[in-house]
Amino acid sequence: MYTFDQNIHLGSSLSAVEIVTAVLFKHIRSCNSKDWFVLSKGHAAPVLYAALIELGMIPREEMRRIQAIDGILQGHPEIHVEGVDVSSGSLGQAFSVAVGIAMAIKLKREEGRVYVIMGDGEQDEGEVWEAMNNAAKLNLSNLIVIIDENDFQLDGHVEDIRPKHYLPYVWHAVGWDVFMCNGHDIASLDLTLEKAENSRHPSVIFARTIRGKGLKSIENTKIQKPDLNLVKPILENA
Amino acid sequence: MRETLGKMLLSLGEQDESLVLVTADVGDSTRAMYFREKFTSRYFNVGISEQHMVNFAAGLARAGFKPVVICFSMFLMRAWEQIRNSVCRMDLNVKFIATHSGLSDFADGSSHQALEDIALMRVIPGMKIFVPADSFEIERSLSNLLIENRGPLFYRIGRDFNEIITKDCYGEFELGKALVLEEGDDITLIGAGSILKNVLEACNDLRKLGIKASVLDMSSIKPIDENTIERFARRTGLIMTVEEHSIYGGLGSAVAEVIIKKYPVPMRIVGMNGFGRSARSYQELLEYFKLDKKSIVNYAIELLKNAKH
Repeated sequence: MYTFDQNIHLGSSLSAVEIVTAVLFKHIRSCNSKDWFVLSKGHAAPVLYAALIELGMIPREEMRRIQAIDGILQGHPEIHVEGVDVSSGSLGQAFSVAVGIAMAIKLKREEGRVYVIMGDGEQDEGEVWEAMNNAAKLNLSNLIVIIDENDFQLDGHVEDIRPKHYLPYVWHAVGWDVFMCNGHDIASLDLTLEKAENSRHPSVIFARTIRGKGLKSIENTKIQKPDLNLVKPILENA
Repeated sequence: MRETLGKMLLSLGEQDESLVLVTADVGDSTRAMYFREKFTSRYFNVGISEQHMVNFAAGLARAGFKPVVICFSMFLMRAWEQIRNSVCRMDLNVKFIATHSGLSDFADGSSHQALEDIALMRVIPGMKIFVPADSFEIERSLSNLLIENRGPLFYRIGRDFNEIITKDCYGEFELGKALVLEEGDDITLIGAGSILKNVLEACNDLRKLGIKASVLDMSSIKPIDENTIERFARRTGLIMTVEEHSIYGGLGSAVAEVIIKKYPVPMRIVGMNGFGRSARSYQELLEYFKLDKKSIVNYAIELLKNAKH
């Protein structure tokens, strides 16, 4: 999915590969078109674009033009691209919008769930607290949030920037059903998503991941891009 | 104004089942409670969470509803980024009714007085701005703007000023069309919102001094009626705007942008140049900040004198 002349958040995208795969390929597009997918950590756009290409919703050649002036794929997801349900990019915002969508589905008495992928750094945002509370108050059981817990945000390790180890307790105390799983294990994700789908409350899944997974030189660091000279031959042969 | 609005929203809720109301713990203060009592399931109080209020409305709109967000204008500004990034960037059908704007919340003081809101909204691509002068203009515009009009819109009203100053002679409502309240050849006074009452009174006093002023109700600030502004610039050769808003980026700036493009004439922007403050009455506050009729008369005379030199 990677081309070499862009400013993309590769590390944040790679931590979310299996999460996006499990949601989009096993739980949404293939079986129920009434579901919504919201990439609240919009900087992981490349992994969403890659998935939408595999699903045949975006022409494959567009991936090479990501962020290009004449391309359709922006640095962060925008709704004019097929398969992007909510424009995102400003952290916390798209999750908050997703709460409104989940409410709309309930108000119309329709089937359908809203799947949201957030980052762990994103949890710092005040509007996450606001939206989390409202979703619990409205008991939006059709809302499933997966937090990509890759332990890093822009400036470093999440625990150094602002501690987050207590977050599962917070979500639970507010009224969400809380699940944990291995965010790189499709079977574990699949099983946990099924549990969340059967929940009678809004659900949040804390998915443990490794930032930059698969590119050893940047794994578990805040570095978004590896040394391109080292990686290029590996990717070209992939 | 709030009473009229509350009852109108109730009536619009009956007309259109997709209309939903979203507020942030100011349902009673904004008279949204009339709607709440009738349409409980379509009324959402998200608590004191303005950022989420805007996003929640964006989500409802994305899934097909017509949300009306009703909130004190000042606190809606806290969610400027959500208005820009969630609502306008996706061109969603969310209407914002911003209450207690300008100096109308006279007692609460500067923390509550939105004097920069028009400027903040005007710069966002796709956002439309409407500022009704009185209850009659609310009745005339609301159904069109909330139900028929598509896309984001900022509807700015005061706290409770209620005097009718527009007349029932303007034909069908059209966004982007100014109302001509008075006609005269010496100077054009342009206002929007309840301050127009003072502008009209100033116009009467000027007439007594032999100065004939035109008065335009520029309730539609974006889109703005460029043709009418140009016509009156040509006719009177002088333009003065009056607003309960900062002199930077508001109605005056919007008119000036038209004037410099279409027909440059001497112009004065009358408004606020700083924060507001508390007072015991609205009128007292307007006098303090020189937005009363006497001050407007003096500004007009000054502009006329300067233009002659």
